[in-house]
Amino acid sequence: MVSNPGGAWGRRYWLIKPSDECQRVYAGYQFIGYQPFMSTLSEESRQIVASLAHRVGPSADIAGIAEAITSILQDMDAALTPIIGQQGCVALLRRSLHLSASAHARLAGMHDRVQATPDRSGLKAVLLEQTEADALFFGEVLLTTFYTLLTTLIGPSLTARLLRDVWEPSLSDTPSQENSP
Amino acid sequence: MSTKVTINRLATGVPGLDEVLGGGLPEFSFNLIAGPPGCGKTTLAHQMMFALATPERPALFFTVLGEPPLKMLRYQQQFDFFDSDAINQSIRYINLADDTLAGDLDEVLRRIVSEVEAHAPSLVFVDSFRSVVLASQTQHNPNNNLPQFVQQLGMLMTTWQATTFLIGEYFTETDTNPIFTVADGLIWLRQSVERNSMVRKMEIMKMRGQPTLPGLHTFRIASSGIRVFAPAPLNPDETPRSLPMQRLKMGVPRLDEMLGGGLPRGYSLLVAGPSGSGKSILAATFLAEGARNGEAGVIAVFEQRPNHSQNATLADLIRSGQVSLVDSRAPDLSIDEIVQLLLSEISRLNATRVVIDSLSGFELALAPTFRADFRESLSRMVTALTRAGVSVLMTSELEDRYTDLRFSPYGTAFLTDAIIVQRYIEVRSRLLRIMAVVKVRASAHCDELRQYHINDDGLQIGEMLADQEGLLGGRPTTQRTGDHND
Repeated sequence: MVSNPGGAWGRRYWLIKPSDECQRVYAGYQFIGYQPFMSTLSEESRQIVASLAHRVGPSADIAGIAEAITSILQDMDAALTPIIGQQGCVALLRRSLHLSASAHARLAGMHDRVQATPDRSGLKAVLLEQTEADALFFGEVLLTTFYTLLTTLIGPSLTARLLRDVWEPSLSDTPSQENSP
Repeated sequence: MSTKVTINRLATGVPGLDEVLGGGLPEFSFNLIAGPPGCGKTTLAHQMMFALATPERPALFFTVLGEPPLKMLRYQQQFDFFDSDAINQSIRYINLADDTLAGDLDEVLRRIVSEVEAHAPSLVFVDSFRSVVLASQTQHNPNNNLPQFVQQLGMLMTTWQATTFLIGEYFTETDTNPIFTVADGLIWLRQSVERNSMVRKMEIMKMRGQPTLPGLHTFRIASSGIRVFAPAPLNPDETPRSLPMQRLKMGVPRLDEMLGGGLPRGYSLLVAGPSGSGKSILAATFLAEGARNGEAGVIAVFEQRPNHSQNATLADLIRSGQVSLVDSRAPDLSIDEIVQLLLSEISRLNATRVVIDSLSGFELALAPTFRADFRESLSRMVTALTRAGVSVLMTSELEDRYTDLRFSPYGTAFLTDAIIVQRYIEVRSRLLRIMAVVKVRASAHCDELRQYHINDDGLQIGEMLADQEGLLGGRPTTQRTGDHND
């Protein structure tokens, strides 16, 4: 695969300034309303980040964060596997990992370790070795990259349609009608 | 009350397909869509699925091996009929790749059945079925259980009241595939390639219980999806020509008189003549005269560089909407496509006059694969148009040959009801034009060879060249007085 740090993939994430990320994470997971970070993301990515935050909860440790990330991946898998097959899902995850690492140098190390077993359990094991901030950042980047990757393949409306249920149950404050494409 | 079963017929949502199928798709039928790669099988399946599936009558689309589902979703979205909102509502995709890879057809069948039981679909698609076939052959299974699989699948789907489509690549129609026997319907798609031209064709090889239209039917795939060009229906209740014969004015002074009072309504007229003889001008005048009498017209132009823009009268008529221009630049036209274009314009404008300018250009516009059947095609077109009640004027380029008297290079003169022929002759070192009415079916007409010339007002018909003879030979001689027996 060809890394593409300056392309359409990378650009979105380069916009996130490292200082903002650290500030956000160290502020104690108060990032749902954190405007400087949120405003750089697409509506869908915001939803993903918000959903992750929701699953992580207000005071989660690294185990909670790893669990939240893998559970979202699992839900995405459950939504997509019937349609694109298990192999299709695995391929998408691998590509997302690769793109995430290409776009963010600090994720490269994590990516290399996940490469050994590029599935959810391998990912979870690697996440558990990280700091909360790094794991959360990795999760956000990976999930939004996965989503964006799928969008470039099958378009935004169908992607939203297929993955709608992944976000909906966790966002009790968002009426389901609003998520319709 | 009849106690016989009534088979509902589903409207497929594919323009022209219901006609070709003989009235839609029989409900609960078990069908095979077959054809080589790239012929439009998956597109046809999707177009029907999006048209037919509703939340009450959902569809299951099983993807097996072959085109990866991600790609299929990516490409199918390019069509207008693809509606993302329907996915996971009325349409559900189910991937069976892993089950198929194992090569265990029983397992594949079990998965299909369990999904069908879970979702109770009215429509089931399996794409591609060929991969199921191949998978069954690669396993270490001495008893290929494919016939059994197909048989069971067919039975199950019917009892579950699901209209089913298996999509498969079959390269030979003579395969002794069990599915050919089990299937109620066989829809075969083809790409006919001749030189640089490609024409898509569809054949309904089998459709139990209904009168399909036999033969190959051309279709196109555009962003709106597939469109099948079914042959124009032959209206059995053809309106009898009213008596006394109604006649249309041609708009050329004295030509009506030559035709015996004008062109009988509903007739087809062939105007044959060499290049520059004024055929297109005559055709434009014919339409203008119609417009003057409140009759709308349709003109089909098949020239490489349409000269309609050079004819101010015609350009005005087209601009004002009194005449519709059918100027299909689509490559590889089929006769049915042209007839459909013309008929739809005729009915849109309620047109009564149609011009085809010219048959020579029309022949070139047709895909090479249809040229061998040109006469037959032309005959069908003339029949379809005149049955629609319109009067048709066709022009035909006629190479000047002075050794034989021909009216059309295609031997098509017999197809038309009336013929006007134009010729050049040489008289005293000048090129003069003459014209004659050769035929007007069931009507008296003038038999004179009249000289005419063309000016800004169109064709001006003059008198016979009574002092000349041998006009049709191109080099008439001055006749000696008293030497003829007229």
